[in-house]
Order: sequence, then structure tokens, then C-alpha cells
Amino acid sequence: MNIQQWFSRLKRKNRAWMRRHSYSFFSSLGVLLQHKTGTLMTVLVLGIAMFLPLGLYTALSNMEGLDLRQDEWNAVSVFFKPATPESEVKRVAVLLQEKFEPEAILLTSPEDGMIEFRDASGFGESLEILDENPLPWVMQVSPARGSTGEVEASVARLTEFLASVDSVELTQFDFKWLQRLGRMMELGEAAVLVMILLFGLAMVVVVANTIRLDVASHAEEIEILALMGAGNAFVRQPFLYTGLWYGLTGGVLALILLVLTMFYLDRPLGMLLETYGTEFTLRGLGFYNTLRVLGLSAFLGWLGALISIQRYLRVLKVGGHLGRR
Amino acid sequence: MIKFERVSKHYPGGKRALADVSFDIEPGSMVFLTGHSGAGKSTLLRLIMMLERASRGNVIVDNRNLSESPDKIAPMVRRNTGMIFQDHKLLKDKTVSDNVALPLMIAGFKYSDIQKRVRAALDMVGLLNREKDWPLGLSGGEQQRVGVARAIVSMPPLLLADEPTGNLDPSLSRELFDLFGHISEQGTTVLIASHDLDLIRRTRKRVLVLSGGRLADDIPASDIS
Repeated sequence: MNIQQWFSRLKRKNRAWMRRHSYSFFSSLGVLLQHKTGTLMTVLVLGIAMFLPLGLYTALSNMEGLDLRQDEWNAVSVFFKPATPESEVKRVAVLLQEKFEPEAILLTSPEDGMIEFRDASGFGESLEILDENPLPWVMQVSPARGSTGEVEASVARLTEFLASVDSVELTQFDFKWLQRLGRMMELGEAAVLVMILLFGLAMVVVVANTIRLDVASHAEEIEILALMGAGNAFVRQPFLYTGLWYGLTGGVLALILLVLTMFYLDRPLGMLLETYGTEFTLRGLGFYNTLRVLGLSAFLGWLGALISIQRYLRVLKVGGHLGRR
Repeated sequence: MIKFERVSKHYPGGKRALADVSFDIEPGSMVFLTGHSGAGKSTLLRLIMMLERASRGNVIVDNRNLSESPDKIAPMVRRNTGMIFQDHKLLKDKTVSDNVALPLMIAGFKYSDIQKRVRAALDMVGLLNREKDWPLGLSGGEQQRVGVARAIVSMPPLLLADEPTGNLDPSLSRELFDLFGHISEQGTTVLIASHDLDLIRRTRKRVLVLSGGRLADDIPASDIS
């Protein structure tokens, strides 16, 4: 066989392969549309199964992006003794800057503190009756950025140093709260992973079972196809496409449910967070994550179908039933 | 075209279906395979279709020793063999033309070629006017002719028929055997398993007689009276 013949044979084979795939593609769509109610129920189950981990993932990613004023919580608040002069406060600030190179140091004088307090507390002119300003100098030191452990260590060194400064009355740090939030987010991420695995498995099982019933109802057709010379690949293709359609439509439905849920929750959530002084808009999955969800759901559907049809083909071959009915 | 060399087949459990069977069928000839029920006719056809593997001996089809060939070539062997079944094996939810088109779709033929070939095959069996009908709307004889059209549509070099007249009346059976004769005259090797001795005698072709899994007789066409 010369090269030209070899190429023309390859071309012919490729065309035949394409035609076989297009036959399977359309016949699988036809089967799904033929059994509308059954298809709809399966897609609903798959969509809801996918929506649950997807919803939790979206909730978590929105929480991570939430402006919870972490900088403020991260900062160590340093309260100086009453009547500490500004020069002493600035000396300590310079010392801290040189020794620890923190992210930021913010100084609040007693006068500025009083103005802030007046605005925030709503006491207004009632504060005028005070003979003197009782507020001390306050310094907020944000430690250098790093992992939770690094920030914790840096805060420990800072507070140890500040305890040795005579002019400092008190140091405060709300890191524990932030730490707990971080741990809760980690727990949430682990829960999302477990849910993705469990519901992914559920999707495979649901599709595998649906395809198993589909295969059983087409047993005669499969047998005749095999007797006519159809290979396993040809017999498998329509079922694999069916599984792929199930997975893909389930994924699309899950995304639609997610968008609807976000639309429904966006306003009340925004209103709730507004009372904490945070502006909030729910963020969706984004383009690439949406593509990933569709790809994964289509793959899981295809996998469920593959498991089912492979098992049937093995039984058909081992049992030697072909042509015996 | 078909050569059996001392072929034996035992099913699991020890049941013997064929024992030491040897024969040779020339390309383009038409041969009958006869014998009582359980004589081994269907097993012999199943070996040629690679639906079973011989326990011993060589089954050679078109110069390929199927006994030594891997399972993966079975679909290719079946695509090169037209098979007609006693129970027709038609898909009830597909039209006559869709049923006939099956082997061509499996082989990946172009849609326009499929249309042409299906119509030619249906014309040959006299069912061109029934191409859009459903199998259940056809008589037994017509269903069997659809089965024949499906078996010959891809023009395979070998045609096997397993009791094709089992459900047909004598007149339809004669028509079908005449059709097989016509197909054979066009160069296709035809092997028909049947116990309809009257028809076999009338057709005057070579006959292989199986009895208890053994080849009891090999009667040449010239000896058929």
C-alpha cells in the first residue's frame, strides 16, 4: 500500500468515524426527547444534587470577599497612660517602626479620639460638661502581613515589647476572633470538598442507574447491532452521549438554580450587612468556574453512563447470549 | 470461502455440539446445511459468525483462521457476513428502510449512499413500496424479506441463513430460496441451514448433512434428485 492509498484509507476511516458519532449524537438526543418526563425528572435530581455544593461554595467565596474590616481586627490597639506627651508617643511609634517594620501605625490624639467618639456615640453636646478630655493617646499597629501563624507570632513579640514600655497602659488585640473566622472558613472549604465528592458520586450513580434502565430497554437493539457487526464502541456511543447530556443539562440547571437563589437573597443579605456598615453584593461563579462546573457535570454524566454500559457489554460477552434469544 | 478442519465444539457442562467436522465451500457457491434439531447446524453458523469459538480444529473464513484470531476482530467478521435469522431480528421501533440501513450505518456509509443502497436492496426483495412501513405491519414473509435485504445491503461476500423458512408457508419459502439462488449467482457465497428437505431437493444444490454433531454426509449438487 503506497502513501496515497494509506492517506485515502485514513480519510475514509475518519469520515466513517465522524458519521458514526453524528448518528450516536442525534440518536441520543432523540431518545432523551422521546422520554420527556423521565428525562426531566433525572435532570432535576442531577441539578439539585449539583446545586447544593455549588451553593455552599458560592456562599463561602462571597464570605471570603466580604469587607469585614479585617485590618482593624488585625491591629494591636495601644492605649497610653493619661497625660503622656505627644513626643513620647511618637518616640514609641518610631521605635516600633524600626524594630518590627509593621504594615501600618495609626496615631489618634485624645482630641481626635473625642471627636470620633462624639460622632459615633451620639452623645454630642452632652460631652461638653466634662472638665477635661479623659481619653488617652491611642496607637493602632497593624503587624506585617503573612500567614495566620506569622501574624500571631509577630503580635506576640509586639505585645511583649509594649509591656516593657512605661508610658503604655494597655494593649488590646482581637486576633482570636479573626482566627476563629479563618478556621470556620477552612472548615467550610473542607465541607464543600466533601459535598462535591459525595454529590459527584451521587450524580454518577443516578446517571449509571438511569442508563442501566435505558440499556435494559434497548437490549434487543444492542443485540441486533452486535450481530450486524457493531463493535463495542458503536454500541456504547449513544449511551455515553446520553450520559453526557444528562450531566450537562443537570449542570446547566444547577447554575440556573444558583443564579435564581442569588437573585432572591441578594437584597435581604445586602440590607442585613448594611446595618454593620458593609456594602455587599453577591458575586457569582465567574466565567471560568462556570465552564468548570459544566465540564465536570458533563464528565460525571459520561462516567456514569460508561460504568453502566461497560458492565452490560461484559455480561453480554461473558454470558454468550448474543443471537440466542 | 469457508473451510472447516476437524472442528469440534463442546459447550460448558460437556455438551458436544460438533465433533471433528471438516468441509470446504467454494466462493460464490450455494450450499445447504441440514439435519435434525440439535444436530449442530446453528452452532456451525455461530462459529462462522464468531459468536462461538471452536473447542478444537480450524474455522477458516475468507483465508482467515477464526480459531486463532482475537475476539476484537469479531465485529469486522460480522460486518463482512450477511446473516438471516429465523425470527428476523428486526427492530420494531424503526421503519423498514431504517432496519435495512443498520449494517451501512455501522460501517459508517454516507447518508446518500445509504439511501441508494437501501432502495436497491429493497427493490431486489420486492419491498420497495414498503420502505416507510413498520415491521409489525408486515406479514411474516415480508419481514423475512426485510431481513434478507438487510443481510445483502452491504453486499457481503458471505450470506448465512439460519432456518430462514421456519415461519413461512411453502410458496413464500420457495420464493425465498429462489432469491438466495439469485444472490448466489451474483457471486455471493450462500450457506443455508434448513430442514426443509423438499425445498432443498427442488433447489438442487450441494447439501451438508449433520447428525449428532458429526458431518454424516456431503451430497454434491449433481447427486440431488
